[in-house]
Amino acid sequence: MKAEARPKIIGARVQRVEDPRLLAGRGAFIDDLNLPGTLHVAFCRSDHAHARIVDIESAEASRMPGVAAVITAVDIADKMQPIRATSRMADYYATELPVLARDKVRYVGEAVVAVVASSRYLAEDAVEQIAITYEPLGDAIDPVAAAKPGSPLLHEEAGSNVIVTRTFARGDVDAVMASAAVRVGDTFRMHRKTPTAMENRGYLAEYDQGRRALTLHSTTQVPGIVRDALVEMLDLPGNRLRVVAPDVGGGFGGKAALYPEEILVCIIARQLGRPVKWLSDRLEDLMSTNQAFDEIVEAELACDDEGRILGLRAEVIGDVGAYSVYPWTAAIEPVQVVSFLPGPYRVPSYRGRVRAIVTSKTPTGAYRGVGRPISTFVMERLIDMAAARLSLDPLQMRRRNMVRSEEFPYKSASGIVWDRAGFMECLDGVATAADYQSLRQQQAQARAAGRWVGIGLASYAELTGLGSRIAVAPGMPVNTGTESASLRIDSTGAVTASFGIASHGQGLETTLAQVIAEELGVRVEDVEVIHGDSAAVAHGTGTFASRSTVLAGGAAIMSARAVREKVLEAASHLLEVDVGDMDAADGRIFVKGTDRALTFRELARAVYSEMGRLPREVREGIELEATRMYDPYFGTSTPASHLAMVEIDPETYRVTVTRYVVAEDCGRVINPLIADGQVQGGVAQGIGAALMEEVVHDDGGQILTASLMDYVVPTAAEIPAMEIIHMETELPDNIGGFRGMGEGGTIGAPAAVANAIADALAPLGIMINELPATPERLFRLIEAMNTEQPE
Amino acid sequence: MKPPAFEYLAATSLEQAVAALADDEAKVLAGGQSLVPMLNFRLLAPSILVDITRIPGLDFVEGDGDGGLRIGALTRHYTLETSALVQTDFPVLSAAMNHVAHLAIRNRGTIGGSLCHGDPAAELPGLALLLNAQLKTTQRTIAATDFFASALSTILAEDEILTEITLPALPPRTGWGFEEFARRSGDFALAAVGATVSLSGEEVSEARIVVIGAHDTPLRLSAAEALLTSRSGIAAAAKAAQDQVSPSDDLHGSADYRRHLVGVLTRRALTAAWQRAEGSAP
Amino acid sequence: MIRVTVNGVTSEHEVEARLLLADFLRHSLGLTGTHVGCEQGVCGACTVLLNGDSVRACLCFAVQADGGEIETVESLGTVDDLHPLQKAFQEHHALQCGFCTPGMLMTGIDLLRKYPLATDAEIREGLSGNLCRCTGYEHLVQAIRSAVEARNES
Ligand SMILES: Cc1cc2nc3c(=O)[nH]c(=O)nc-3n(C[C@H](O)[C@H](O)[C@H](O)COP(=O)(O)OP(=O)(O)OC[C@H]3O[C@@H](n4cnc5c(N)ncnc54)[C@H](O)[C@@H]3O)c2cc1C
Ligand code: FES
Ligand code: FES
Repeated sequence: MKAEARPKIIGARVQRVEDPRLLAGRGAFIDDLNLPGTLHVAFCRSDHAHARIVDIESAEASRMPGVAAVITAVDIADKMQPIRATSRMADYYATELPVLARDKVRYVGEAVVAVVASSRYLAEDAVEQIAITYEPLGDAIDPVAAAKPGSPLLHEEAGSNVIVTRTFARGDVDAVMASAAVRVGDTFRMHRKTPTAMENRGYLAEYDQGRRALTLHSTTQVPGIVRDALVEMLDLPGNRLRVVAPDVGGGFGGKAALYPEEILVCIIARQLGRPVKWLSDRLEDLMSTNQAFDEIVEAELACDDEGRILGLRAEVIGDVGAYSVYPWTAAIEPVQVVSFLPGPYRVPSYRGRVRAIVTSKTPTGAYRGVGRPISTFVMERLIDMAAARLSLDPLQMRRRNMVRSEEFPYKSASGIVWDRAGFMECLDGVATAADYQSLRQQQAQARAAGRWVGIGLASYAELTGLGSRIAVAPGMPVNTGTESASLRIDSTGAVTASFGIASHGQGLETTLAQVIAEELGVRVEDVEVIHGDSAAVAHGTGTFASRSTVLAGGAAIMSARAVREKVLEAASHLLEVDVGDMDAADGRIFVKGTDRALTFRELARAVYSEMGRLPREVREGIELEATRMYDPYFGTSTPASHLAMVEIDPETYRVTVTRYVVAEDCGRVINPLIADGQVQGGVAQGIGAALMEEVVHDDGGQILTASLMDYVVPTAAEIPAMEIIHMETELPDNIGGFRGMGEGGTIGAPAAVANAIADALAPLGIMINELPATPERLFRLIEAMNTEQPE
Repeated sequence: MKPPAFEYLAATSLEQAVAALADDEAKVLAGGQSLVPMLNFRLLAPSILVDITRIPGLDFVEGDGDGGLRIGALTRHYTLETSALVQTDFPVLSAAMNHVAHLAIRNRGTIGGSLCHGDPAAELPGLALLLNAQLKTTQRTIAATDFFASALSTILAEDEILTEITLPALPPRTGWGFEEFARRSGDFALAAVGATVSLSGEEVSEARIVVIGAHDTPLRLSAAEALLTSRSGIAAAAKAAQDQVSPSDDLHGSADYRRHLVGVLTRRALTAAWQRAEGSAP
Repeated sequence: MIRVTVNGVTSEHEVEARLLLADFLRHSLGLTGTHVGCEQGVCGACTVLLNGDSVRACLCFAVQADGGEIETVESLGTVDDLHPLQKAFQEHHALQCGFCTPGMLMTGIDLLRKYPLATDAEIREGLSGNLCRCTGYEHLVQAIRSAVEARNES
C-alpha cells in the first residue's frame, strides 16, 4: 500500500459515531443523570419588571413536606465572591450578575428565592407558599426611552442605562453622504429572539466531602469558562472543581454563558453535602435563558450613479436586557452589529455608532450569529434598496461591490481584515446553482398572473475560528483564541483524544475523530473523543462562535502528527526499517510496498508492556501521547451567499419560502453530511427569525411569549428543502484548511428572506424594515399603503 | 412545571363519575390534552380528577340511519378524522379535524373534551355549531347554539358530563368549505371559517357560516348567511362576515387582521362550498 | 397501584396521582430515552406509544396508563442493532444533538403505520408536531421518506 493510497477520511460522508447512543435512547443528558439523594431546586421568580424587594415571606414554604432549604440572596452572600463581566473596553459599565436578586429585581423571571426539596414536584408546591412584597420602581422597557436622562435607572451606580458606547469610523462619511448621487436609508428593527434549544438548561452539582471536591454537571457549551469562573467565586482549586457537560440537547449560544442557577446549585451542594439539581422548565427557559437580536438600526448607504458604494453610516441601539452576561458582556451582540455592518463589500467611508441599553428584560447574550443576522439584514436591505433606485439587478449590484480575490487581505471599513476566501465564488455559486436568470423569468410570469413572488439574495462573511489576536467579544477577560488537544495511545493501543470544546449537536466526536484517524492512520471508530470536561485538558473554553473545527481540528492535527512521529519511530525500531519507508493507515503500521505490518495494539504493547523490545534510550521519550495547542492567530473567514424565493398569499399575507439555496465556503469539508446539517439548521433558525420568532413583552415588562405555543419556532411544515453548495476554497496559512461554520445559516437567512419579501411586495411600493415579517405586520404595511393611496 | 397534587378516580360508570363530581373542586379528565397543560402550568388546582375514559359505551361513531351521526363523547380526534362515515356524510368535519393539533394529540384528545373545553379557536366547537349538533349530557340535551358561554366556558353544570353529540343529516346537494389560517401547521387558528351551502334547483335552500378564533365563542354568522341567495352574494356575505365578528387583539394577530382574515376565509369557504354544491368540485 | 407493560415488561407500581407519565418512565423506571422539552404538549420530545398510538407522555398521568402497554424509544433497537427507522435516521444524518430524536422516532413509527405519506409535504405535516431546533428538518424528511419507501416495498 502506498502512502498516497491511504483512505481519505477527511471529506467522507462518515456516519456519526454519536448517533447509535442517541438513537437508542442511551444518551446521557443532564436529567438522565441520577445520583442517589439528589435534592431538586425550584425558584420563586420575579413577577415584576423593576421593583424593590420589600419583604420575603417564606416560613410556610420551609415547613412544606420534603423541603430541605429555602434560600435567598442573604443566605449565600458569604459563600461566594460576586462576579461581573469585566472588559478593557472603554465606555462600558460591567453590571453585577446576581445569583439571587438582592434588594431589587430587574426583569420578570429573575430568580429571587430558591427552594430545595426532595423532588421537583414538592419544591414547586413550596414555591407556591412564598410571598414576596415588591415596591415597583418604574419601568425601563423601551430602550429608546430608557436611554434618556431621567428615566428610572436599573443599575444606579452606573449613572445611566447606557452601558456601552462605541463607534467605528473610516473617512469623512458625512461629506461623502452629502455629495453622493444616490442615498438610501431607513430605520430597521429586529425583534428579540430566544435560542430555544430543545433541551432546557439544567445543572447538577455534587460535592465530595471527603475530597472537598465539587463536580458540576452542566448543560453548558463552555465548561472551561464556567470552571475558571467558579474557581474564583467558590475559592476551590481547579483540580477540585470539575465542570462536565454531558450530552447537551442543543445550545445555539443560549448555553454559552455562566448562569446564576449553575453557581447556585454548586453553593447549595457544598453547603448541604448532597447532590443538587435544577432543571429549567420551558417557562423558565423562555424567561431566563439569555435572549438576543434586539436592535434598532438607523442606517444610510451612499452610492455613485453606477451603484458603487461610497459610504455607510449607522446608529444602533441594542436592547441588552437587565444584566451584562458573563463572560461575553452586554457588548457582544450590539457591537458586532456595527463591526460587521459593512459586510463583504468595499465600503470606503463608514461610521457605525452603537449604544447598548439596559432594560428590565431578560439579559441578552450570544445567540447563533451574534449581531450579524441584524447587520446582514440591514446591509443587504440597503443594497437592494440602492439597486432598486438605480434599476440595477441586485445580483449585479453585489458583484460590483464585493471584495474581489485580488484585494485580499482587505481591511474592512470597521477594521476587520478579510483574508482570502471565496466571497465572489459563493455569490456566483448561488446564482448558478439557483439558475438566477430563469428564476427571474419565473417571477415575471408569476407576477403577470397576479401572484406575489419575490427573490432575495444575501451575502456576508463571518470571522470564524478566531485566534488569540482577535477576541470574540471586545476586551473580555477570557482567552478564546487557542484550543488544545491531548492525544494518547494507551497500553492496549486504543486512541483517546481530549479537547476543551463541548460538542452539543455539531458532531465533533465524529469530525475530530475523522481528522485524527486520517492523520494518525487509524480508523474513525478507533478514536474516542473526550470533550465537554474541564478536567480533560489544562485549558479550554468550549464550543461557540463557529470555532471548534478550526481550533480543535487544528490542535487535533498537531497532536496527531506528533504522536504519529513517535509511532513510526517505535515501529522503525521494532520492524528494523527506516521511518521513511513506513506508513500507517487503518490501524496498522506497515512497511510500504510489503506486507510487513504491526497493529497499533501490537505496537502499544511493545512500547508499554513488553520490557526489552525497545532499547532504553528509545523507550524514554516515546510515550505515545502528545498535547498541542493551536492558535490560528487572526482566525479564518467564512463567506456565503444565500438565495431565497418566497410566495406571499395576496390575501392572508402568509409567506411561504419556496426555494432556498446556499453557497458557502467553509474551506475543507471534513464531513459533507454534517456540513449540510449545520447549514440547514442555521437557515431554519434564520427563517424563524425572519418570519415568526419574536419575544414579546407587554408595557409592564411581562413576557407574553411564555410557552412554545406563543414563542413560535418553525416546524417541518414551514421550512423548505434546501440546496447547499460548498465552495471549499484553499486556506494556505491554516493547518487543516478548515474554516469554521455553524452560525452562518442564521446570519444569511433573515436578510435573504427579507429581501425576497420586499421584492415580492415591490410592485406595491412596500419596504421591509422590520423582522419578523409576520402576516400581521405585512397586513399593517399593506393596509397603511391602501389607506394612503385610496384607489 | 409540575402539576399540583390531586386525587384521582378512574370512574367506571357515569353514575360513579357524577357522584364524584359533587365535590366542588372536582374536574372531569378525558383525553387530558387541554386539562393537563393547564395543570402543568398550575393554572388549576382541582381536588380530584374524575377520569371518564374507562366508562364503557361512550366511544362510538354511528349512523342514525337518516344520514345523521351519533358520536360518543369519548371518541378520539383521530377516530373522527379517519372515520369513513364522517368522510362520506360530513366531509367538512373530516377536513376540519385535519387542522386539529398533531397526531399524538389527536390520538388522545376526545371530542367531548374539546367541546367542553370550549376554546374559541378550536375547530370542533365551531363544527358543532355549523352542523347544528345536539349535545347530550347526563342531565339534558343542549343545542350547540346554546352550549358555549364565553371563552373556555360552557353552560354545563359542575357535575354534568357530556355523553354524546348528534349531527342531523345535511340536506341533499350540500357543498362545504373549511378554511383556516394558523401561524404554524397544527396551531390553533387565528381565524377559521366553515361553511355549507345547500341548493335546491337554482335556489339556495340553506347557507351556514361559522367562524372560529374571531370571537369569544364560535359564532354562527346569520347576517352573512342571509345575504347568500345566489353565487354573486358571496362577496357581500364575506363582507358581512367581516363586519359581524368582534375579535380581540392578541399576541398572534390584531383584531383588525383577524377581521380581515374572516372576510378572506369566508369568501374562500363559500366559494368552495358553492362549487361542491353544484358538483363542480369534489 | 398501577400495572403497566413497558417495552414488553409488566410491572406494578405505587405512584402519586399527579406523576406525569414522562416522569414515571424516566425517573421511576429509569427509561431516560424519553425526553422532556416543554411539558406543554408542544415540542413532542416526550412522545411514546400508549396501546400502539403515539401520545405525549407529558400530557398523561402515569395512573391513566394503568393496564396499558407502553413502548418507548428503548423498545426499538439497541446501540449495536438499530431498528430500520433508527438506521435511516443515522444514514440521513437526521439528528444533531439528539434531544428531539426519541420523539421523532416514536412519531415516525405511528405516522408510518397510519398515513400514506405520499409526498414530502405530507411528511412535513406529519412531523410538524415535533420540534427540532438543530436539523432544519430536511434530513429528517429524507429519513422518513426512505422509511416510507421501505414500507411500501414490503
Ligand atoms: C399542542 C396542542 C395543540 C393543540 N391544537 C389544537 C387545535 O389546533 N385545535 C383544537 O381544537 N384543539 C387543539 N388542542 C386541544 C386538543 O384538541 C384537546 O384534546 C381538546 O381540546 C380537549 O380534549 P380532551 O379530551 O383532551 O379534554 P381534557 O383536556 O381531558 O378536558 C378538557 C376540559 O373539558 C372537560 N371535559 C372533558 N370531557 C368532558 C365531558 N365529557 N363532559 C364534561 N366535561 C368534560 C374537562 O374537565 C376539562 O375542563 C391542542 C392541544 C395541544 C396540547
Ligand atoms: S415535553 Fe411533552 S410535548 Fe414537550
Ligand atoms: S437534533 Fe437537536 S433538537 Fe433535533
